[in-house]
Amino acid sequence: MTMADLPGATTTTTEPSADGRTASPDVPSVADASVAAATTPSQQFSARSGRRAVSSLRRTVTSVWRLWFFAVILVCWWFLSADSTNTFFPPLKNILTQLWDLWVLGDARSQLWSSLEHFAVGYVIAGVGGVLIGALLWKFHRVGDAVSPVLYFIYVIPTAALLPAIMAIMGIGASMQITIIVLAAIWPTLLNTLDGMRGTDPIKIDTARAMHLSSTRTVWTVVLPGAMPQIMAGLRHSLQIGVIMMVVSELVASESGIGFFILEAQQRFAITDMWTGIIVLALIGSLLTFLFILIERVVLAWYLGARAVEQKG
Amino acid sequence: MRVLDSRWFKLTARLLVVAAVLGLWQYIAVSGVLGKDAFPTMTGTMAELGRELQTADLWQAVWDTVRGWGLGLLIGCSSAIVVGTLLGLNRFAYLSGIPVIEFLKTVPVIAILPLAIVVWGASLEMKVFLVAFGVFWPLTIQVIYGVRAVDPVVRDTAITLRLRGLRKFVGVTLPSAAPFIATGLRIAAAVGLILAVIAELIGGAPGLGLSILTSVNAGPSRLPATYAFILVTGIAGVAVTSLFAYAERRLLHWHESQRNTASRAA
Repeated sequence: MTMADLPGATTTTTEPSADGRTASPDVPSVADASVAAATTPSQQFSARSGRRAVSSLRRTVTSVWRLWFFAVILVCWWFLSADSTNTFFPPLKNILTQLWDLWVLGDARSQLWSSLEHFAVGYVIAGVGGVLIGALLWKFHRVGDAVSPVLYFIYVIPTAALLPAIMAIMGIGASMQITIIVLAAIWPTLLNTLDGMRGTDPIKIDTARAMHLSSTRTVWTVVLPGAMPQIMAGLRHSLQIGVIMMVVSELVASESGIGFFILEAQQRFAITDMWTGIIVLALIGSLLTFLFILIERVVLAWYLGARAVEQKG
Repeated sequence: MRVLDSRWFKLTARLLVVAAVLGLWQYIAVSGVLGKDAFPTMTGTMAELGRELQTADLWQAVWDTVRGWGLGLLIGCSSAIVVGTLLGLNRFAYLSGIPVIEFLKTVPVIAILPLAIVVWGASLEMKVFLVAFGVFWPLTIQVIYGVRAVDPVVRDTAITLRLRGLRKFVGVTLPSAAPFIATGLRIAAAVGLILAVIAELIGGAPGLGLSILTSVNAGPSRLPATYAFILVTGIAGVAVTSLFAYAERRLLHWHESQRNTASRAA
């Protein structure tokens, strides 16, 4: 029994694919779970239409067409809220005007930068640390096995519950916020790295050994690329958790940041201001995810390409 | 090498690590590196945990958390299964709906919390809403995939046998979607617990999160209680994840993904 056999690790790894490949928890899975692990539905769709060699013009038309429902929702929101007197749901028009005044003309942007700074530092530490620790636990699998109950328990504790304790130790400030982001965001990357590396085809490792590759070289050329799709899936999940913890830490204790802005607006009962914060946060969250997907496409280009060829053949 | 891989050796190693971590905790607390008022001793925390376990307050807090989590999960998951199935069965609905769902999935759930707090206050409804909202989007995507992932051979067989409507849905669609839904549910359960604790911690709804917060605010003397509550939250997490993993293994033992796992373990 090893780390991935524990219920905790299976939470992030087991996928119902018959080929036994695994993916990150929040990622949708299709029959070929690895593609699902590394792509979004629209990516898979575009990969499929790409194979049909649709001209780029037609593809643009298709993707615009697919947004019609989105547009309908926004239009409905606009008109249904137009003369809303409900305190909690101000007209969309007011929210957007306020959004422009506060975030584009005003200085609310500085809140955003302070949030993103903490997030960036925390996420980089979590990402690098997750891959590193995951790789070490894979390399020294007996150690990994011995520490698995402890790791599992720390992983399962909702990180937000640790927040008050960390506040008591570190006080309020940037280091506390970064710590909480790292503590929460490291897990998906760590567990996916470990599981991805464990999934390396033994024949490939034997081949590397037969070719007298050094163990460092084996890791770089065989194990790491093989685990890359899953590591990226883990990193993406870490990103989403990191954003959430960034806001949670600001909502609980902070003097700056977008979470602080929202909380402060809420306490002033400035509901429209609060709405602008919520919308900015929503945009930031999805913007970061789409940015990540772009990077992922570059990093995994070889994999997605090989996969497409494999399916075509 | 045989000795190192034997079952009892592994078990001993794990127990030793757990003991070492607890010992380290005690050592750090006693040496006061982190500040005596900020980090309680392991023995103090365990004693406090033992005391708390006998009080009604703790069990009330556990119940509050579990209730909010359970209701939110029930509402979020059942609507996700309905919506996901409908979107998965129709290609037009799928293509129209997926951009919206994908976008909302990337929105940090926590963004909606302040709104829920002003609308419902520190209440059960607020917690239930946050949990339901948080688990809905990822599970919907999972369900859509499950419904769309019917094996082509099975699908063609169903067409040949002229299975239609409800019979096709129960006999073909549901069984092939079941493992996807199960995976989604297991993840939703874990995410839901995290969201319930966040709703208590930030929104002030009664439950384990609020207990942690109030004990921290009560000053250094209540610090062991804080850590005891955190441990209880962790145990709740273990219980939730193991429960769902176990149910999945039992209910889906017939599916090939589970069969593979079983044969690999053997």
